Amino acid sequence: MKEPGTRSINFEKSTLLWSLVWDADWVSAVSFVGDKHLAAGNNLGEILLWEIPEKPEALTESTSEKNKPNEKSERPSYQAPLPTRQMIGHSNIINRLICAENRWLISASNDHTTKYWDLMGTPSGTGTHVLNARTIEDANRNKNSGKKAPAPIKAEVKTQQPAKTIKGNEWIVGLAMSQDQSTLITGDDSGQVVLYDRVSGTKKKHWQVKGWAYAVAISPDLKQALVSERYPLVFDSGRHTGLKIWNTESATPLHDLGKEFKDMQISAGAYSQDGKILAIGRGGEGDGKIFLLDPSTAKKIRELSPIHQYGVTDLCFHPDGLHLASTGRDTVIRIWNIADGKMIKELGKPRGGQFKDWFHAISFSPDGTRVAAADMAGFIHIWQFGS
Amino acid sequence: MNLNNNGKCENIEHISRRTMLKATLATGTGNAIANWGGLFNSQSIAQEAQKLGKRCILLWMNGGASQIDTFDMKPGKSTAGPFREIQSKLPGYKVCEYLPKMAQQVEKLGIIRSMRTASPDHPDGIYHMHTCYKQSERMPHPELGAMIGKYIGNKDSDLPSFVRMGPTGNAGSGYLGPRYEPFGIERNGNMPYFTTPYLPPANETRRNDLLRFMENESRKDNITDAFESHRVAKERSWRLLRAKSLFDTSKDWPKHQDLYGASDFGRGCFLARKLVEAGVPFVEIGQDNYDSHADNFVCHKANMQILDPAWSGLLIDLERSGLLQDTLVVWMGEVGRTPQINNRAGRDHFIRGWTIVLAGGGIKGGVVYGSTDADGRDVATNPVSEGDLFATIYTALGVNPRAKHYVGTRPIWATPEGSKPIKELLA
Repeated sequence: MKEPGTRSINFEKSTLLWSLVWDADWVSAVSFVGDKHLAAGNNLGEILLWEIPEKPEALTESTSEKNKPNEKSERPSYQAPLPTRQMIGHSNIINRLICAENRWLISASNDHTTKYWDLMGTPSGTGTHVLNARTIEDANRNKNSGKKAPAPIKAEVKTQQPAKTIKGNEWIVGLAMSQDQSTLITGDDSGQVVLYDRVSGTKKKHWQVKGWAYAVAISPDLKQALVSERYPLVFDSGRHTGLKIWNTESATPLHDLGKEFKDMQISAGAYSQDGKILAIGRGGEGDGKIFLLDPSTAKKIRELSPIHQYGVTDLCFHPDGLHLASTGRDTVIRIWNIADGKMIKELGKPRGGQFKDWFHAISFSPDGTRVAAADMAGFIHIWQFGS
Repeated sequence: MNLNNNGKCENIEHISRRTMLKATLATGTGNAIANWGGLFNSQSIAQEAQKLGKRCILLWMNGGASQIDTFDMKPGKSTAGPFREIQSKLPGYKVCEYLPKMAQQVEKLGIIRSMRTASPDHPDGIYHMHTCYKQSERMPHPELGAMIGKYIGNKDSDLPSFVRMGPTGNAGSGYLGPRYEPFGIERNGNMPYFTTPYLPPANETRRNDLLRFMENESRKDNITDAFESHRVAKERSWRLLRAKSLFDTSKDWPKHQDLYGASDFGRGCFLARKLVEAGVPFVEIGQDNYDSHADNFVCHKANMQILDPAWSGLLIDLERSGLLQDTLVVWMGEVGRTPQINNRAGRDHFIRGWTIVLAGGGIKGGVVYGSTDADGRDVATNPVSEGDLFATIYTALGVNPRAKHYVGTRPIWATPEGSKPIKELLA
């Protein structure tokens, strides 16, 4: 199952390399772009791109303070690089970011659009970002607390317009790409599920689900798709959750998993590279359970333990095809061995009080040596695994 | 002593020697004991109010709806959240994108953006926003619905004067006594199980006549509040059963479902319209659950998709049937929600600057009163208290907000001292 060309990874040896500061709003999405770039999106609809330094700069005492995510968090090893590029065009929360051909960045947003960005394209302008603007604003507003506003961390960026925009009906919450990168699937809060030809952006198939389409995933053979649904009313007969595996050719349900996962908002789903495992994770504020299913029968293979307290936000298979990463509303990433369901590494630490902060999304680098997490507290963390 | 139209003493309202003694005793111990709010000026106030023929529907947003995500949006600010504004029917006035139907009704709305209230949690907030008095006071205050029932209700009607459905108030009729207690119907609009007689109608009638006879005989020797409360409740029940068919919306609902939206709350709003048309002076319909400490935006988005057609449908239907000018529609909950978004993507309780909306009878439409600061963290102009709000509601309905009641020997007013109606909102 191991992908040819991928290195053997020692997940148990891991180092937090960088915590990239960006606190304009919650960092909501992240994706590696090749092994040398990283893109992240936030709740304001902004997308920034970082070049990952080949020779990281060691942290000095002063820079260590600037880059410290939280007293309870792990301290990064190196000084955070600054972003170099900004993708302009979205006007609301970036829910998902994915990368195709190490060139195309594709984003899904609450502004009802999916956008493509050509990273080989030429930027059209420049701009300046203050990466710790929120911290400064909060300190200035709460002067009585005695906390001094920190010095601004400024970044000069080149700005770039989208190469393509696909309009949807509502918040586009679900976005995934097939293993061969030929097909995109999106799901929105109007209940529309759409399959697109990834290269042209043209619609191949679409169907309607009863609730709001939430998590989506498409199988490597393109024959089936997972769609979870929600309509999160409380104490109302209109409340709805659902989970189905669909036949993508006929746009009809193959398996209805609604009864087995009753009242669970499934917030994340992903097919393994060989298509033999479908991982799903429970979101909302329920117990963040993760289940591995056999996509051909929709039968549960196993449930992973421990749970992500207060919900799963993202699931991602490692390029080696042997491991799964999960994250959630407890600010930890867990690496799981698919074969036996054992957790082999936990990255990060739970933060906050009774309720924790979130990691919204995770992404493996294509060579599998690194994992990045979008942290709502205004950071993008990058860990290096041992070899 | 007050006399009703028949010239007979109203036991339920007058201050009896026994009650006066009880109240005097109570005052000595510092506790208030109800004598059903014996009034000295209620008859004239009620007569004046009844002449106006006003009605009131309260749309109760249980848990507390977010002002920033509905009618007091802060685009571009860190407190804004993901909802976007849309242009309403009135130039320059914008509302949340998930209230598109209400955006077409804004010329009917009087919007108070500067509620600054005093009870930050649910039980105390629900009590306070239903009575305009703090829950901590040693006094069983009546809810708005009980007060309206008293002053505007028709005592001879078979219908209750105060009907409520879904999650609503928690104070009841307080010192006004059992006559003005709310009649609650189930969340799905069904009547309570006990309204279904288990005897054939003829047997039921004979049984009730016998019970009435026995009650009247017993009453000659036992004139006490407890017996009287029981008798009044029984009489109300029998009368209500005669009017039960009015509560059945099964035939009419399919024709109105598109207008109000296919939801429990929408159906409740439709029932409210039917009831006020039939003469019920006060109906409260609750919508759960806005208490979005977590996932505020998906919660509000889902709730607004139910609220928008239901509320706008109600206003349209009232207007079409000529009832809107005499029917005050109030939209409120017990608290607003914090501008700050917490780490659960939620908003917590907020009382320093939130929004309530009035429409219809007695209210000037297309008016925004008060404001909050740039981020919505506090009231910037014209703070409005619970008492001010109730004074405005009472005035719009023709009820004197300074109506004085006595609980024992203790005077108490319909609204707290210093409460002022918002003149800018009154038609």
